Amino acid sequence: MSTTDGRSGALAQAHTPVAQAPTPGHTLVPYGQGRIRGLDAGELGTHGIAMDRLVALGLPVVPGLTVPAGSADSLCEPETARAALELVEQLSGRQIGDRGRPLLLRLSASASTEVAGLPPDLACIGVTAADADDLCAVIGREEALYEVWAATVRMIAEYALDVPGPELDDALLDAPEPKARVDALLSTIARHGTRPYPDDPAEQLALAARAVRGRWASPRARRSRKAQRLPADMALALHVQAVRIGPSDLSGYGTAVSRHPDSGRFAPQGSFFRGVRRSAPPPHTGEPLEKIGGGTTLLEHSLLTLERHLHAPVSVDFEVRDGEVSLLAASAQSRPPLRASVCLAADLAGDGTLGPEEAVRRVGPAQVQELLHPQLRLTGAEELLVQGLPASPGAAAGAIVLSSERALELGAAGTPAVLVAHETTPADVPGMLAASAVLTGSGGIASHAAVVARGAGKPAVCGAEGLRVDPVAGTVRIGDRLLSEGDPVSLDGRTGAVYAGTLPVTLADPPPELSTLLEWADGVRRLGVRVNADTAAEVNTAVALGAEGVGLCRTEHQFLGDRLPLIRRVILAADPDARTEALLALEHAQHEDFRALLSAVGDRPVTVRLLDAPLHEFLPPPGEAGDAATEQRADALREANPMLGLRGVRLALLHERLYPAQAEALFAAWVDVAATGVRPELEVMIPLVSLPEELAAAAAYVRGAAEAVAARTGVTVPYRLGTMIETPRAALMAAELAEHAEFFSFGTNDLTQLTYGFSRDDVERQVLASYLDRGFLTASPFARLDPHGVGALVALAAERARLVRPDIKLGVCGEHGGDPESIALCDELGLDYVSCSAHRVPVARMAAAHSALREPERRSESETVS
Amino acid sequence: MQPAAVTGSDAVDETLTEAVVDLVLRGMWRGAPESEHRPLVDAGLAMAKGPMVLPTERAKATAAQLLRVPAGSEQEERITAVYEAFLPVNRKIREVCTAWQCRPDGSANDHTDTVYDAEVRESLEDVHEAIQPVLRRLERVLAGSGRYMTGLDEALDRFDDGAVEWLASPLCDSYHTVWMRLHQELLLVLGISRAQDEVLEEELVRRSRG
Repeated sequence: MSTTDGRSGALAQAHTPVAQAPTPGHTLVPYGQGRIRGLDAGELGTHGIAMDRLVALGLPVVPGLTVPAGSADSLCEPETARAALELVEQLSGRQIGDRGRPLLLRLSASASTEVAGLPPDLACIGVTAADADDLCAVIGREEALYEVWAATVRMIAEYALDVPGPELDDALLDAPEPKARVDALLSTIARHGTRPYPDDPAEQLALAARAVRGRWASPRARRSRKAQRLPADMALALHVQAVRIGPSDLSGYGTAVSRHPDSGRFAPQGSFFRGVRRSAPPPHTGEPLEKIGGGTTLLEHSLLTLERHLHAPVSVDFEVRDGEVSLLAASAQSRPPLRASVCLAADLAGDGTLGPEEAVRRVGPAQVQELLHPQLRLTGAEELLVQGLPASPGAAAGAIVLSSERALELGAAGTPAVLVAHETTPADVPGMLAASAVLTGSGGIASHAAVVARGAGKPAVCGAEGLRVDPVAGTVRIGDRLLSEGDPVSLDGRTGAVYAGTLPVTLADPPPELSTLLEWADGVRRLGVRVNADTAAEVNTAVALGAEGVGLCRTEHQFLGDRLPLIRRVILAADPDARTEALLALEHAQHEDFRALLSAVGDRPVTVRLLDAPLHEFLPPPGEAGDAATEQRADALREANPMLGLRGVRLALLHERLYPAQAEALFAAWVDVAATGVRPELEVMIPLVSLPEELAAAAAYVRGAAEAVAARTGVTVPYRLGTMIETPRAALMAAELAEHAEFFSFGTNDLTQLTYGFSRDDVERQVLASYLDRGFLTASPFARLDPHGVGALVALAAERARLVRPDIKLGVCGEHGGDPESIALCDELGLDYVSCSAHRVPVARMAAAHSALREPERRSESETVS
Repeated sequence: MQPAAVTGSDAVDETLTEAVVDLVLRGMWRGAPESEHRPLVDAGLAMAKGPMVLPTERAKATAAQLLRVPAGSEQEERITAVYEAFLPVNRKIREVCTAWQCRPDGSANDHTDTVYDAEVRESLEDVHEAIQPVLRRLERVLAGSGRYMTGLDEALDRFDDGAVEWLASPLCDSYHTVWMRLHQELLLVLGISRAQDEVLEEELVRRSRG
């Protein structure tokens, strides 16, 4: 609208009508003609661009036009509005006011990018009080029209006719029925508005444009732009669409996405709503797509075409008129469900649209982690009690509790509880907080219970039909079963399934499409991925998840549990005979452990770390050593700081039979396993070394053990000997250590502690949060390998070691081995492999592939710089 | 439902009535000092479970009796009209909280999509705009109900200051927590059960949404 004063504006217009009043031909751009006319997103808005694309792809679109941002204000003038109306009539082949094939208009707005807080769409432009009932007769549902019409009138009243908001609120509160609401609004406008609500559709459209502009300039919209850091004067393109009215059994509108969110497969999903289209269809009131009169073939074709064009899972808004689908909007889904992204990448690579590398690029390591979420481990023999609604993700098992009180009691005792209630009130909130999961009989995924459960991070299933709680008897009927408070149940908040009994909760197996992508990732990556595993069971899990071998087998557990008395006797025994006897018993037990482990490893590499427990773990608590003499010896061995005391190789050098016994058990087990045709690549690792002399001495024990086994069995066991690099001194002495070591494994947990001088337990409790707040650190150095300090030590050690031994094998076995950024750093430093816990193995495979894919980019970046 | 254990509100010391109503509407007190909850515990109206104080069945029945307006009164009629205007908005706030926590496909909202979150904030603004005329009317017919508008305004301010738990966390007086309390008070004032409430809300939502 012109901002000059009325008289001079009118005068100027009278003299140069063509220049002042934009010619409708240029101002009004039918869908599909924007780019031909050289208009970009700034002029056409995201909606205009999307409609152009649909037309270009030959897909059916709703008739309509765009008033480009630069001339959008002209739509506030009745002449332009009339021209727009006539053009839409022409495009749709219908007339406003025609009672047989009625047409209405809908005004919407879009900006140059996706933004929140656009003015709501105004539909029902062209309705008059006189013909509303005729329209309802065509639709066959009265409310559908009046509700939408009321919303349009409300906004025009407030933002174009200056009716005070509270007057409108009161009018609406006093008239709950949709039809009465429109009447109340129209009479409020007549009383308080600058003019009555017009019957002329062009004047309605001009007022609607004015209302959209007023709403966009309102304090609320300005606040919203500011919060989104959008320009205060951001311009809007306006769009005028045909709303073709038809009977509700054959007409309506809806939204659809191309892929099923759970399976990720191409299977259009969505909702279909009958009646007049609204900007925000009420959730949970739609019908499935199959209910569209006329079928979904065209919709499926449109979704498939768009997916192939956009290389992404897509969503569309559509209209159905007399059984015929036409599109209102289409875009790549901004955050498609993970399964959908993974399956699409596999599909596109499968049919040759993408190369495998490009497919791998599309799925990040964090997404791999999310796909392997915890779930109930099902065997098929479970008893399904009821299928409710999946209200809050996660899986849990626990004892049924029927009150907050009982949930808190069990919670305090550390017993997992599942709070079961027919319906929830505020009094159930403490119980929900104390329980490990929530099950309700009423309400849906938007119930208070569901909101609270998600807010508290508890898995929940809501709306489990047929659930009857009897608080007096302390029982609950679920499905056909009568259960009592205290009985175990298990539930999965992602699927809504509730089972009897306590089911184990484990990580999900990778879906088949992810396994395919991970295999492609293996083809891309340079860095090896191994697992930190101590038992045969862990090795089996990790191998199934793609581990190439074991990067760290800790042997401490071989000395704990029922073997603790044996190792105590080794350390505290007064006479050598008792000690030798205990050692023999230990060696025998370890032999069995190693045999099981090596069988599981197969022909893969396995790094076995000799004992690295701090001494205090093996000492009896004060007063429990038995006799006074032993008590005295135990007292003498207690340390002020055990983690920096008699630990690792240091303990082995003081108790000289420990490592030889362990190594003999290991080598003998290898001989047994080799006899079955399996040949694990054995790597024996010495922990907590800081002097080359320590390593040399320990290496001599291991060599001696190998010779002893060879003498006993006649088999020379092939093995490599190496060391952990856990102390800064070891890193600095890498060259000297490499004289004795064929491999290094960086124990980055200890290396981080000792480089920073951080005691992990203490700083995590007291210091790290504050350092992160202050911005001293951007991540915990225990979660993400510090590239500047610890990373520099690793780099330096690698360089020095390779000078002495160019083919030395280098790996990382700290928890960092499962962190994608740390993995990328290890890749950059040229290490050979990372080793991480079993459930991180798929993440590490993907992270290593992504790092390799970034490598050429990194190289070209550095070339550009130099 | 009138448990036999309660013989009437006169059974409760008048100095405790405000506290017992507060405890029942909140559902719990967390970390309340001993001096505050001890009198309620002694009167059999509360139980302390670790850091939490919970209302007893007797407390719930007492609060219900204290809050209930006379059946068939003009006040009941006027509050009922407000309650019926409240219910469709009650559906919307739960949908807004749900949209904040989960994306439309049911996956957790990780808050990395700023446009999506801004859209949710917009629909929260719609709810906030819609509840204001309802609460203005309620204040005229139900003493003390003005505190809900204050509580909602405060929660929204905190949310906009970046403390996003003030939308839906059960651990603070978040928008949803204050809302639940308002809802619970309306139910007790009118003597409406959760089941009746659910049916009526569904009916009103259907009617208003066509």
